[in-house]
Amino acid sequence: MRFPLNRAVSFVLRAIPCCLLLLPASQASADEISADEAKLQAEARGVFKQQVTPFIRKYCTGCHGSRPEAGINLDSALQDPSATSSFLHFQKAASSVKVHDMPPEHADKQPSDEERQQFLEAIRCLKYMAPRDPGPFVIRRLSRIEYGRTLRVLYGVDESITAGLPDEVPGEGYLNSISPMQSELYLEIANRVVNQVLPPECRKQTRRPHPVLGRVPGRRDDPRAMARGVARNLARGAYRRPATDAEIDVLVGIFDLGRQNGLSYTESLILMWKGILVSPQFLFITPATPLASTGTIAPLDDYQLASRLSYLLWSEPPDAVLSGLADRGQLQQPEVFRAQVQRLLSDTRLSALFDGFGAQWLGLSGLKDQVFDPQVYPQMTPTLRQAMLDEARLFFLSVVQENQTVFQFVDSDYTFVNQSLAEIYGLSQPVSGSAMRRVKLQDPNRGGVLGMPAVLASTSFSTRTSPVRRGVWVLEQILGERVPPPPPDVPQLQAQDQTSRKDLTLRELTQLHQSQASCTNCHKVLDPIGFGLENFDGIGRWRQTDASGVLIDSAGVLPTGQSFSTPAQLKQVLSSRRDDIARNVIERLTAYAVGRPLEGYDELVIDRLMEKIGKDGYRMRTMITEIVCSDLFTYRRVQQ
Amino acid sequence: MGQSALIARRSVLRGAGVALGLPWLSSSASAASALPSRPPVRLGFMYMPHGVIMDQFWPKSASEFLTSPPPALQSLQPILDQCLMIKGISGVPISPFNGAPHALELSTWLTATLPDADTRGRVNIAISADQIMANYVGPQTLLPSLELATMPQTWKENQEGLHEAYYSHCSYRSPTQPVPAEIDPRNVLNRLFGRRDNPGQMVRANPLDRQMLDRVLGGARDLRRTLGRNDQMKLDEYLDSVRAVERRVAAIESRQQAAAQEKSGRRKDSSTAAAPIEIRIPEGDKRSEYMQVMCDLTVLAFQTDTTRVSTYIGSTPNGVSYPELGFTNQHHSQTHHENREEMVSKVAAITKFNIDQFAYMVKKMAGLPEGDGTLLDNCIMLWGSGLEDGNRHTRQNLPFIIAGRGGGTLNTGRFLSDVSGNQGDLLTTLLSCAGVPLDRPIGIATKEISEMRVAGK
Repeated sequence: MRFPLNRAVSFVLRAIPCCLLLLPASQASADEISADEAKLQAEARGVFKQQVTPFIRKYCTGCHGSRPEAGINLDSALQDPSATSSFLHFQKAASSVKVHDMPPEHADKQPSDEERQQFLEAIRCLKYMAPRDPGPFVIRRLSRIEYGRTLRVLYGVDESITAGLPDEVPGEGYLNSISPMQSELYLEIANRVVNQVLPPECRKQTRRPHPVLGRVPGRRDDPRAMARGVARNLARGAYRRPATDAEIDVLVGIFDLGRQNGLSYTESLILMWKGILVSPQFLFITPATPLASTGTIAPLDDYQLASRLSYLLWSEPPDAVLSGLADRGQLQQPEVFRAQVQRLLSDTRLSALFDGFGAQWLGLSGLKDQVFDPQVYPQMTPTLRQAMLDEARLFFLSVVQENQTVFQFVDSDYTFVNQSLAEIYGLSQPVSGSAMRRVKLQDPNRGGVLGMPAVLASTSFSTRTSPVRRGVWVLEQILGERVPPPPPDVPQLQAQDQTSRKDLTLRELTQLHQSQASCTNCHKVLDPIGFGLENFDGIGRWRQTDASGVLIDSAGVLPTGQSFSTPAQLKQVLSSRRDDIARNVIERLTAYAVGRPLEGYDELVIDRLMEKIGKDGYRMRTMITEIVCSDLFTYRRVQQ
Repeated sequence: MGQSALIARRSVLRGAGVALGLPWLSSSASAASALPSRPPVRLGFMYMPHGVIMDQFWPKSASEFLTSPPPALQSLQPILDQCLMIKGISGVPISPFNGAPHALELSTWLTATLPDADTRGRVNIAISADQIMANYVGPQTLLPSLELATMPQTWKENQEGLHEAYYSHCSYRSPTQPVPAEIDPRNVLNRLFGRRDNPGQMVRANPLDRQMLDRVLGGARDLRRTLGRNDQMKLDEYLDSVRAVERRVAAIESRQQAAAQEKSGRRKDSSTAAAPIEIRIPEGDKRSEYMQVMCDLTVLAFQTDTTRVSTYIGSTPNGVSYPELGFTNQHHSQTHHENREEMVSKVAAITKFNIDQFAYMVKKMAGLPEGDGTLLDNCIMLWGSGLEDGNRHTRQNLPFIIAGRGGGTLNTGRFLSDVSGNQGDLLTTLLSCAGVPLDRPIGIATKEISEMRVAGK
C-alpha cells in the first residue's frame, strides 16, 4: 500500500522545474524556497504530527524519553524534528522498528505489522521538513594523493616526493585535519621540491629564463616589481585562484626577507616559493571571495567549483580549460559546467575516481596487504593481486566511461584479464602475457563484481572463504543496507580444521547461527547470500567441492521467498532490487563527493536524484553529472 | 603488513643523534629552558588491542609478582622491580555504543571519554592525555610529541555509525583533531635527526625558514578573517600546527649553537649520559624487528630529549595477523576463543609477543645511564590494552603494565591487586607524576590513584 503523501510528493517533484534541482540562476537569492517546496514542507509537517508523533508517544518515549535509554532521546527529537541530531535518533528508531527489535519483546504494547509499516512510511516525511542545506563546506585540506599530484602537475616532480605523509582514507571518512607532523613534512617536502626543480648548484644567475621563476633581472629592471610578477604567477597555480593584493604583499614580504638577509634574487624567490608551498591557500581549497555576511547558503565561487570538480574526478588541480572558464566567470552556467563534467569523465585521468572511490566502495583497499596462507593459496603472488585490482579498475572505468547502467556492476558479460587472471577464471580461450585485455564471458556465474576475484578474495579469510563476510559485503556494498555488528559474547566460527565440530561442513557450522535467537534475524539474510557464492574459493576460483572434498551446496532462499541455486541465479535475484542498488551507489558517490556522511536534508536531494537519474535508466555518467550539479556539491553553508 | 616495501634497504646509522639530538645534558637543559638540573620525566604509551588471556597475565598474588610472575610477563623478569602492575582499572562504559567495542577500545584509551553521540559521523571526542602533556612540555623540545604505529591508520569499518578514524587513532590534539602516527622508521629517523643518509636533501635549521613561516602565519590570519566560523576553526588547526614547526626550527637552532659551543670548548658536557643508541633499520618484514626499531626510536627520542611524550600503537584492531608466530589467523578472530585451547594459546602467544617488544624497549632504557640513575628511572612507560577479555569484550580490569619510576614518583616493584579506579583516574595520576598540572580531570576521572605513588612524592 502506498502512502498518500508519497504520491503527492512524487507528483509535485515531477512538477518542479529542472533549474531548481540544478544550478539556480545566480541572481535569485539562494535562500528563497519555491512555493512547491513550501507546500511540501507544510504537508510533511502535517504527516509528522498525525502519524509519527502518536506512534512514538505510544510505543517509544516510555523508555526513550527524558531519561533516554541507550542514548536515544525521542522526546527532544519530537521537539525539533528537523534538526540533524533528531534525524539520527529517528533513523535509529526506524531501523529498530523495522527489524522488530523495538519495542522490546517484554513491552506491554506492541504495534501491529500494519502500524509498523505505516510508521516507517510516514517517518520518511522528515526529509521534507529539513531546511535547504548543502552542509558545511569547510575549507578542505588536499589529501596526500591530491597534494602529490598537484605538485607533479605544477612543477613536474614525481608524486613520491610526498614520502612520509601518512596514508589517508578519502571521501566520507576523510580526516580533514592537520597535525604538527604533517606541517613539518609540508616544509620538508617544499624544500625537496625547490631543490629538485632548481638544484642549489644551478642557482647562479644565468641568462636563460627558468620555467618557474622566470628570468633574472637585468640592470634596468626593478627586481622587486619582477618578484611581484613571479609571486602572482606562482600563486595563481598554487592557490588555484588569483591571489588578492594582500596575499601578494605577504609573498613579496618573504622575498624582501631573503634580500635583507643577503640572499640572491633567485634564492629570495625560492624562499618565497617555499612560503607559497606551506601556505593554507595551497594546502587547502579556499574560497576566492570573502564570505557574504547575509543569507544561510551561498553558491561556491567559480574557482572553488573548478577545484572541487577537478579533485573529485581527477585528484588533480583544475587544468587550463577549467581555470580559463573560472577566470571568465562562466563555470556556473549550467550548460558550461555540464560540458566540463563530460570532458573530465572522458579523460584517462578519471582513473583517480577508481583509486579514491571505486576501490573503497568495493572494499578492495586492503587487498594488497591482506594475508593469505601461502600453504593454501600459493598462487596469491603480488603480481596476481595486482592483476585482480587492475581488473576491478578497468571494469569500473568501462562501466562509467561507456555510460552503462549501474546494474552492469552486478551483472555483466565481459571483464578484463591477463594470463594469470585467466587461469583463476579458468577461461577456455587462450590468454597469454601480463597485459590486461577485455574478454567476453560465456559463464553466467561470472561477470560483475560478485564473481570478480578481487572481491571474492578480499572477503575471505587467510585459509578459507567466509560466507558471512561475503553476505555482509553484498548487503552493505551492493544493496546499501547497514548490517548491525554481532552482539558481544559471540564467538566467530572456528576454521574448518578445528576438532570439536570436525564432522560439520562450513555450511552446517554457519547454520548454527540460525539456531540462536539473537543471531537468526541477521544470519537468515546473510548466510544464504554468502553460500550462494561458495562455489568461488578464497581467491575466486570455481570449485565443486570444498577443501575437505564435500560437494558445495550453493542453494538458498531469501526471507522474501526468492530462491536460487547458482551464483548466476543469485545475481538475478539481486538484480531485481534495482532501486536499492542504484540508491546505494548514488548515496556512496554523493558522500564521497562532499567528503562527509549524508544526513538530514541530503536524503531529500538523494530522492530527487533517484528520480532524475532513474529516468535515464541509472546510467553512470548521468549519475555522476547529476550529483555534481546538485545543491550539495555546488553550494556551501554560510553560517549555522 | 607491507612495511617491507617501505623499508627498502638495510641501513645502519651509527650515533645518528650526535649533531642535533644531544643526550639530555644538565648544562644545556638549564641553559635552554631554565629547568632545574634534574632529568625531565618522559611518558610513553604502547598499545595492543583485544585484551589478554587473564590467567596468564595477572600475577597470582602481590607476593608472587617478583618471584614467580605469570607467563606473559617473563621477558620483563629482570626489571620487574622497576615495574608496577595494577588491577582494578575499569574502562569507559561504552553504552550507547554497545555495538562498537573495537572502534572504542583505542579511541577511549587515552581520552577516557566517549565520542559525542550526536555527531558520531565526525570525529568529536576529547584531547588525549599524551597531547595534554605535549601542550605543557612540548615547547621545550624539538618535537612536541611522537606518534608511532605499526599499521597504516586506514581501517574502514563502520560500527554504530562512528567515524572510522576512531578505529585506529589514540592521540587527539583537540576533540576534533586526531593526530596521525608514523609507520615508517626511516621517516621517524629523518624527523628526529635530519636526513643524514642523504646529505644536501634537507635544509636543516634555516633561521630564515622560521621567519618565512612567521610571515606565512601572518597571511593565514588575514585569510582567517574572511572565512565562516567552521572554516576558521579548521584554519586554527593549521595555525597551531605551523607554530609547532616554528618552535621546532627554533629549538634546532639553539641546539646547534649548544653543540658548536661544546665543540669549541666554550661549554662542557657535565652529564654522565651514555652515547646515543644506534638505530638499525631492518631489511625484511619480520614484525618483531620492525617493532623493535620503533621501540629503539622511542628510546633514542627520549634519551636525546628530542621529545618527552610518545605513543606507539603496536597493533590495530582487526585485520592483523602474526605470521612470525607460525599461524596466519587474525588476532581478532582468535580472541573470540570460547576457551578453546588452540585459540587461547594463540592469543596468549600474540600477547606475549607484544609484551616482549615492550620489554625490549624498557630493558634498553634501564641500561642507559642518566643523571644519578638510568633513563628508565626518569620515564613512565605504560603498556596496555583497551579490553580485558577479548572473548567477552569486558572492560572491568583493563590490563596495564607500567615500567619506570617516573623520576622517583612511582613506587615500583609491586602488584596492586585491588585498585579501585577508572582509566581517567590512571591517566590523571600518570600526568601528575610527570609533573603536568591539570586544570580539569581527564575524561571520567574522579581522583588520583595515590597507592601508585611513593608516599610524599
